[in-house]
Amino acid sequence: MVLGEGHQRFIQTMMIRGIVNEQEAKTLHHHCCEVHKEHYVADKLEEFIQVVNSKLESLNMQIRTRASEDDGMTCYALVNTANNELTRMSSDYADNELELFRRTLDLIMSSDDSTASSTDILNMADSLQTRKLTKSAAECLLKRLVSDDWLVEKQGDYSLSTRCVMDMEPYIRTMYDDEQVKVCYVCHCLAFKCQICANPLCTVKIHNPCAEKYFKKKPVQRCPGCSELWPNEVREGRQSVSQRQR
Amino acid sequence: GKEKASQLFSEGLSFDPSTFVQHTLSFMGLNWLEEEGESSDEGAATSHGSLPRNAWRRLARRAEACFRSTPAFHFMYGSFQAEPPPPKPRVE
Amino acid sequence: TSQVQKGMEKLTKAQIDEKTTELVQYILMKDQKKIPIKRADIVKNVLKEYKNVFPEIMNRVQQRFEQVFGFKVVEIDTKNHVYILINKLEPAEGSEMTSGNPKTGLLFVILSLVYMKGGVVPEGLVWNTLKKMRVDPGERHPEFGDVKKLVTDEFVRQRYLEYTKVPHTEPVKYDFTWGQRAEVEVSKHKILEFLGELHSQDPQRWSQQYKDASSQRSSRAPQPSTSSQR
Ligand SMILES: [Zn+2]
Ligand SMILES: [Zn+2]
Repeated sequence: MVLGEGHQRFIQTMMIRGIVNEQEAKTLHHHCCEVHKEHYVADKLEEFIQVVNSKLESLNMQIRTRASEDDGMTCYALVNTANNELTRMSSDYADNELELFRRTLDLIMSSDDSTASSTDILNMADSLQTRKLTKSAAECLLKRLVSDDWLVEKQGDYSLSTRCVMDMEPYIRTMYDDEQVKVCYVCHCLAFKCQICANPLCTVKIHNPCAEKYFKKKPVQRCPGCSELWPNEVREGRQSVSQRQR
Repeated sequence: GKEKASQLFSEGLSFDPSTFVQHTLSFMGLNWLEEEGESSDEGAATSHGSLPRNAWRRLARRAEACFRSTPAFHFMYGSFQAEPPPPKPRVE
Repeated sequence: TSQVQKGMEKLTKAQIDEKTTELVQYILMKDQKKIPIKRADIVKNVLKEYKNVFPEIMNRVQQRFEQVFGFKVVEIDTKNHVYILINKLEPAEGSEMTSGNPKTGLLFVILSLVYMKGGVVPEGLVWNTLKKMRVDPGERHPEFGDVKKLVTDEFVRQRYLEYTKVPHTEPVKYDFTWGQRAEVEVSKHKILEFLGELHSQDPQRWSQQYKDASSQRSSRAPQPSTSSQR
């Protein structure tokens, strides 16, 4: 299968955007076919992406699909699938900046609500093994990580962006143990923003959108793992991909 | 008059950097009215007025059409070592 | 070339594919900052013991870039073997499709100025023009940071600009000209078109520049432009 210019433009736009939601992906699919006067079938986005991936995968790249933890909407992200000597030469961040990011990830993974406070992050800046960062340099770095769409900041607390979760999933699954890697009971994907069973002995976690779907038709909401009554939390989904500011 | 015009045409218009700056600033959304009591018809006005925050980005978006730049691929996975986690004896 | 063939025969298809993938990755990473890639660095960091089959691997890499991404690999300096990527697809329109990097705006102003003033411009004219646009090389700019460094170092390393000493000047003076990347990546025609829009006038009236732009268009064919020194 040969890629047309429409596929190529799709890849190029994904390089710029990093991540798009389902609606944006559909619009982009349409746009790319239209600009290059290529055959367009409205409901064939998945097939279109399969064709693109068939070429990208041999170059250690991929368009990965995942449901957003906020609204359950499908997201598409262009990710790198290789970790080797060459990819580690990537020029976006310096060694000590990457170390601070990695240690922020440690904090996020070991916290209950998958966030890290800015104070805790900044406190690590002068104890980095590579080379310490000044507080103001660390603050700048956090801003950059947010504007590059790796972290999300809310009232001084940092969490992983959907794009970051998608990109870093293989890393997270190999680097952290089962206690730290939370997985959704319903969809089996990594779970950061999720509801947790009230029973302290039970480990069931469910994404908000997955919980909504799962409990929808059930007269009584019980944990699928331990049958404990499920706390009827209604957490509002916040910040979808399209609302994000570049 | 006509002769002069065609002569001008064959040599080409000269390019005046100050005029260029004024037109470009307008394109970038310069607000000439911000400064009171200044007429904006002379070159002097270029040092007044205020530029919106996204001014350079606005110019960039249009200017990109002149460039055959390639978009860059950015990633986080693969940027640093993924050494296996410290051995933690656990019961499977 | 027969030596290259002999070298290729010793390699398995998997080995060749692996090196091709690695080189694509390497070039994409260097392109993150728009730094041109030297053949010597490719050999040192990627090809290593495969050095002797460089042309064949590079061929495959070029094909991948064209077929998958719609990019073209161009050798901008045939003497030192320096490569850049340029886009084969027409520039996109619409804010979601473009990155809108403010630096491109700054670059546009400088490249336009140099081009419209005949190809060589003393640095003073560039600094004065930028100052009128509230970008002072002596001050930190909120978007561009250290402006002088951006223009005389980053843009020069990316080969958008050349910044050269004027011989026999005391104190030393510098001129700006277009760099080799600009010659290949930037369309003079499109610059003129945009300038025409800005000035509300027919770009053909800048007849000298218009003639020159047409020659860029016709020479833009496959072979890399051997840097046109002006
Ligand atoms: Zn789920
Ligand atoms: Zn439970």
